[in-house]
Amino acid sequence: MPPKACSPACANASPARPDAMDFVVTTLLNALTLISILMLVGLGLAISFGLMNVTNLAHGEFVTVGAFAVYFVQSMGGSFWLGLAAAPIAGAVVGCILEFAIIRHLYSRPVSTVLATWGVSLILQQGLELTFGLGAKPVTPPIEGTLDLVFTVYPAYRLILIAIAALTLLGVVLLISRTSFGLDIRTVIQNREMAEGVGINTRRTYAIAFTFGAAIAGLAGGLVAPLAIVLPQMGVNYLANAFFVVIVGGVGSIGGLVAGSVFVGGLTSVLNYQISPSLAQAIVLLAAIVAVRLRPNGLFNGASR
Amino acid sequence: MIARDRNWLLIFVVCVALAILYPFIADGYQLTVIRDALIFGLFAASLDFFWGRTGILCFGHAAFFGIGGYIMALVTLNDAIPFASLLGLAGAVAGAAFVAAIIGYFLFFGGIRGSYFTIVTLAMGVICQQAAVSWSSVTGGDSGLIGIPPIEFDVAGLPVDLSQDLPSYIFVSAIVAVAVLALWSISRGRWGTVLTAIQDNEVRAAALGHNAPLRLLVTFVLSAAIAGLAGALYVCMAGLVAPDLSGLLLSTEVIVWVAVGGRGTLLGPVLGAIFIQRAQQTISSFNPSLWPLLLGCVFVVIVFVLPDGILSIYARLKSLFKGRRRAQ
Repeated sequence: MPPKACSPACANASPARPDAMDFVVTTLLNALTLISILMLVGLGLAISFGLMNVTNLAHGEFVTVGAFAVYFVQSMGGSFWLGLAAAPIAGAVVGCILEFAIIRHLYSRPVSTVLATWGVSLILQQGLELTFGLGAKPVTPPIEGTLDLVFTVYPAYRLILIAIAALTLLGVVLLISRTSFGLDIRTVIQNREMAEGVGINTRRTYAIAFTFGAAIAGLAGGLVAPLAIVLPQMGVNYLANAFFVVIVGGVGSIGGLVAGSVFVGGLTSVLNYQISPSLAQAIVLLAAIVAVRLRPNGLFNGASR
Repeated sequence: MIARDRNWLLIFVVCVALAILYPFIADGYQLTVIRDALIFGLFAASLDFFWGRTGILCFGHAAFFGIGGYIMALVTLNDAIPFASLLGLAGAVAGAAFVAAIIGYFLFFGGIRGSYFTIVTLAMGVICQQAAVSWSSVTGGDSGLIGIPPIEFDVAGLPVDLSQDLPSYIFVSAIVAVAVLALWSISRGRWGTVLTAIQDNEVRAAALGHNAPLRLLVTFVLSAAIAGLAGALYVCMAGLVAPDLSGLLLSTEVIVWVAVGGRGTLLGPVLGAIFIQRAQQTISSFNPSLWPLLLGCVFVVIVFVLPDGILSIYARLKSLFKGRRRAQ
């Protein structure tokens, strides 16, 4: 790429146009990467926080567990794809145990759930640190190269990540809208007593939905592992952002989830270009608080208060 | 109700008496240990004042502790500012209260309660710590700021210098005692009664003419101001300030202190802070990474075994014996 040494007179000449286009497309794709990850992490949270009213502060650890699963498989000599298959399984196992051991006993005690799941989160973090040792864990992406997209050159792996996330989301939408299990979930969410009345095992439905959300978060962790710094403490950043996705987007619809992810992820990636990441995070937080103040039921359901 | 108040005052007087007697048996180092623990006890009491009375959990209370600490450090390290200690304390309290007022306004008047509030304050704590790390030209980054002078000021011409162990211990104990007593009298009076009503049923309390969001906001701001004061005191006693002071781990620990000591008792959290810190120091000297693990276990155990804190063991035993006596 030629250096931008030309005078202001030639600023509008042809070399500037591809540059601007390059910038726009790269920013857009970066935002799309972040939005994809947030959407996957937020999905599980939308199920547990938004629909079951369970504030699960250990949700970030599902992401961490997924990332560590990929690292573990790779360090044992397995391929990235094998690790990526293991990630949702690892997330599901942890989620299932958590639901059975703790969360199902606390459905009627929200503050206790917050404390207990935070305790579990600390235990998982320290457990991972004691098992795998201090320091960031290296995870290599399956594809190193870049792809030429006419306007810009972009890492191929990130494009794959976006595609997998989109396919997963599509799968979830189909699962919820087209299968009998999806019908069960929607019934339980709308009216738990009534669902029990017509013979749906609501406890089992909750458990499966929770485990399912954990698995998706684990998958997100596996996907993000080559791009992120894999640490036992990595979960908390995803936790906070995913909660904002759910709060801003409003609960109860895939549309709200997408809107929340676009809001948080898009704002974060655009701001990251201009200012330091911490300041960007602070601004996103403030924007989210203001958004909640103006639209208490979420961006997507804004009109229906 | 009156018997409970009398019991509380009795325990309070016993605690104050112990605090007065302690310097006679302890050496300088032990005094400083208790002094620092008392500061964290004040911090715990500030969280309890909000959480215990409103039932809303703030998961980023260390943000206010850290804000107070950083303001105190910046004011006292600046040679150009006169009366640095007093101005620093005032600035720390005002700064923490100001941030709490802004965040609280949007949340309480936006109808944010319960879990939503917990999440937003959690994120607030994360961001405060990140800001402290990344804004290194002001905050000193990861390593923080060192060389913060001890508190010194004049009272009617008499110089008060808190660089020694005993004066600083007395100063901190007095502040903690006065603050806890003040918070207690607020929370047992009319103000606290209205807060309890709001916690039980906000719509009904509002229908009776109480401005619920405003009450919650003022309580939150007061709680944050005390947390800022505790942060400022700690920074002067320790002589340094670091991003950890506004971090998530401290926010977590203060919740444990309150939960172990007994939510809504104000004195319990102070005692909880002192005892758990002693335990933490013992365990951390043994293996530093073991502490967060144990902390996690404490959270889970409290929720399932002791939802009302350590002090509830006494009440439980009492009811157990009563039940037995009645059975005989």
